Amino acid sequence: MKNRIAAAAALLLLGVGTTSAQTTAFHKLVVVGDSLAAGHEANCTVERYQRRGASALLAEALGIADFQQPLLAETPATNPPTSYPCLGAVVVGGSIGVGIISQEGAQLNATLPRPYDNLGFNGGPRVKDFVDLRVSVPGRSDLDNYAARVLRNVAGSPFEGTNAVEQAASLAPDLALYWVGNNDLLGAATTGVVVDGVTLTPVDAFRAKYVEGLTTIFSAGPTVVTFTIPNVTSIPLFTTLPPVVIDPATRQPVIIDGHPVPLLGSRALPPDCPVATCPLPNGTLLNTIRAGLLLQQGIGVPAFLGGRAVQGSGDLTTALPYGTITASGLQPGVVLYPDGVAAILARTTEINDVIRSISAEDGTVLVDLNTLFQDVAANGYHIGGVTLTSAFLSGGLFSADGVHPSAAGYAILADYIIQAINTQRPGISPIPRPNLGAALFTPNVPPFGTAVTMPGFHPDKWLLDLPVFEASPPAAEPLSDRRPSTRTVAR
Amino acid sequence: MTRHRRPRPLGLSLVLLFLFVATPAFPSGFQIMSQGAKATGMGLAFSALADDPTAIFYNPAGLGWQEHFSAEVGFMGISKIKGDFRGANPFPGVGSDGDQHKTTFFIPTVFGVVPLTKDFNFGIGVFSQYGLGFRWDNPTDNPWPGRFISENAVIKSVDLNPVISWRLTPAISIAAGADYRLSYVQLQRNVGTYDPLNNAVVDTAYVKLDSDLWDNHGWGWNAGIMIRPSPVFSIGASYRSSITIDYAGSATFTQLLTGNDVLDAIVRSRLPQGPQAVATKIEFPATLNIGMAFVIAKNTTVCLEADWTQWSDFNALNIDFINPAIPDLDRITAWDDSWAYRFGVEQKIGPNWAIRSGYYRDNTPQPTRDVGPILADNDRDGYTLGVGYNTPKWGFNLSDLYLIVKDRTVDVPNTDSFFGKYRETVNIAIASFRFSF
Repeated sequence: MKNRIAAAAALLLLGVGTTSAQTTAFHKLVVVGDSLAAGHEANCTVERYQRRGASALLAEALGIADFQQPLLAETPATNPPTSYPCLGAVVVGGSIGVGIISQEGAQLNATLPRPYDNLGFNGGPRVKDFVDLRVSVPGRSDLDNYAARVLRNVAGSPFEGTNAVEQAASLAPDLALYWVGNNDLLGAATTGVVVDGVTLTPVDAFRAKYVEGLTTIFSAGPTVVTFTIPNVTSIPLFTTLPPVVIDPATRQPVIIDGHPVPLLGSRALPPDCPVATCPLPNGTLLNTIRAGLLLQQGIGVPAFLGGRAVQGSGDLTTALPYGTITASGLQPGVVLYPDGVAAILARTTEINDVIRSISAEDGTVLVDLNTLFQDVAANGYHIGGVTLTSAFLSGGLFSADGVHPSAAGYAILADYIIQAINTQRPGISPIPRPNLGAALFTPNVPPFGTAVTMPGFHPDKWLLDLPVFEASPPAAEPLSDRRPSTRTVAR
Repeated sequence: MTRHRRPRPLGLSLVLLFLFVATPAFPSGFQIMSQGAKATGMGLAFSALADDPTAIFYNPAGLGWQEHFSAEVGFMGISKIKGDFRGANPFPGVGSDGDQHKTTFFIPTVFGVVPLTKDFNFGIGVFSQYGLGFRWDNPTDNPWPGRFISENAVIKSVDLNPVISWRLTPAISIAAGADYRLSYVQLQRNVGTYDPLNNAVVDTAYVKLDSDLWDNHGWGWNAGIMIRPSPVFSIGASYRSSITIDYAGSATFTQLLTGNDVLDAIVRSRLPQGPQAVATKIEFPATLNIGMAFVIAKNTTVCLEADWTQWSDFNALNIDFINPAIPDLDRITAWDDSWAYRFGVEQKIGPNWAIRSGYYRDNTPQPTRDVGPILADNDRDGYTLGVGYNTPKWGFNLSDLYLIVKDRTVDVPNTDSFFGKYRETVNIAIASFRFSF
């Protein structure tokens, strides 16, 4: 790393890059990262979200007017969607659930002749993708689709052959956010497949690519901001549904013989349960959206409580599927077993140790997002007499996809980043903190209407009825006569 | 919380009720020192002079030289000249401002002195030593951004303070008394809920907490000493003990409709129904006043005083809901002890008239982390003027106190996570009438 610093110093002397003056504010911000950096919210990236993302708010706080982003228009949702749909809270009967409210539209800033200042893109980029992805091929994968419109490094483009960190360095920033690594852990959680080297990035591989990307950014001489990885198992996507049967009348676990009744998973758990289907062990996490869809159909609910088999892909499915890797590729599941949770947490710790070590060695500003996420998950976020929490839909910190922050959440992230910079770079003029009140009190809905529900469209895929906001409990049914659970309490 | 119910004489209850309802809303900390017009005119530097019936409040040892039956009735009008808030980032944000409700409060006081023997006097005072009224306007078109913390915070109190003075020598008097304090608290605020349909925080309920009117009281004591070694010099000191009051009361939750029937139905189903029992406690601080008075020229008296208030007693404000389903409101206040420094002068004109003026600096006990919509206190400079006409049989005094509270900027982490600048200016006009025979 000393070599990297020496190289950066040499570049500085040659006038290639600029470092932030010790007594002046920053004037050029670039951002390299994933969906969090992009301002992705509620399953899509649209201008309404991009302008409220943490990166944009930081640029605004710095007074940078020319912070260029790969903006996307937002359009009413079509049936079926013709682009990535935006999720949102919708009224479903007497409760509030999740539905499609809009979709991504056309690119609004596609002709910018230079790289974007915000190079964050979603599609699940891992740390290697910020250095290895030099030619994006639209249509090949979600990752390519998103990268193509942000990096624009498609064949024949002026940017062909350049990766994210090179594009960032070419802009000669004096402040750079290097906000990468979340998907090196998140993919294992969202797919339910926890396999080192497949869905979990090995530590050594992570370190190598992380340093490679950081070195390139450092070559421009900016102050670099790095981030720890939040514990992805603490986000609402995994903390809303408990692994036990819930009585919809009381919203409490069904208790039989003094014990809650576990839901059923498709993984064998020898020796107690050598063949599937098996009760989900304590500590199992459920994917709120995907598992919620199956629970509505009674899948995963024991037969004596009204569970039923549903025609799956060839077989009758009675249990919540766990993720696997087959000859045809990765088959995502909806449950994350305790051993998988433990493996993800262990890798989170390892990777965060790597990030902390590199940050300390290189003198980056470290934003400890993991600490922030853990704190708000445990205690909520209290501001001005209002408490925001990590609860799905109703908490206010996370958007309707249960993974990405809401506008309020992004504003809080921006504030956290600014405080980290101000604290760790006391020699500079403090960066003014953002207006969190505006983020909390300004409605954040599509410009063409509030909630565009699509009850006729793919109800089995997109429209959930998660009674996190249920108006009143439905009439209790006798347990002996209980039909498959169509409502599951979100806690 | 133990609730005490005792029958009270109707007459006394009526008097107390009259004072109680009229109790004001003006913080100094939330202590009110302006209990007498003459004292107010002299910058409240009165502990070493205390030569009228308000001595019961300022220094009861001053009764030792009062040889006639006297009664003094006072009326105080407290007007908030300016009171506003300018928001700052991060919350509520630049442009989110608010104004305090501008009202004039009227407070009566009653003091009486009854000579018992040559050396012993009895006195009794009814006054309000502590009061707070921090009420914010909350117009529909520009909602008060701090409404989820407090729209209106009220502490009212009335003290009944009998004292006995004993003139030990021609130059020394001591006194002691009991202090019965009845108090009432109120807190009003809105409840904010995250509306997932609009992705914004909306007002969903209005909460009003009231303590019971009569069942919240406490006992304390006061004492004083005054030494007049010569006709032109005196020193005095008085002490008033802390009083702890346990409050019982109730909170009512009133739903505020958002316009979305489903969300409103959900809120309705979760809102506590009916009055909810609450309990809280306030520890009113002890005070120590030390002063000196000099006759520096014929008919000219100068007073100096230092007042100490043990505000460190006020270290928490916890509101406990008996219903465990409702979260308590716990607040660490952690105030500091404070000092005020006072100066006053009186110039007699002829046998009956006198003009007075004074100044004081009152240092705030409130740390910045506790400053918020419930109470935003700060150091203050008080400028006073007064005039009086007194004969052996009767007299009246008029005074005005113009109080400039230093702007209080909250730009560091604080309990409410509420940032901005508070500004406040207050005027207090007070008149008293004395009858002696």
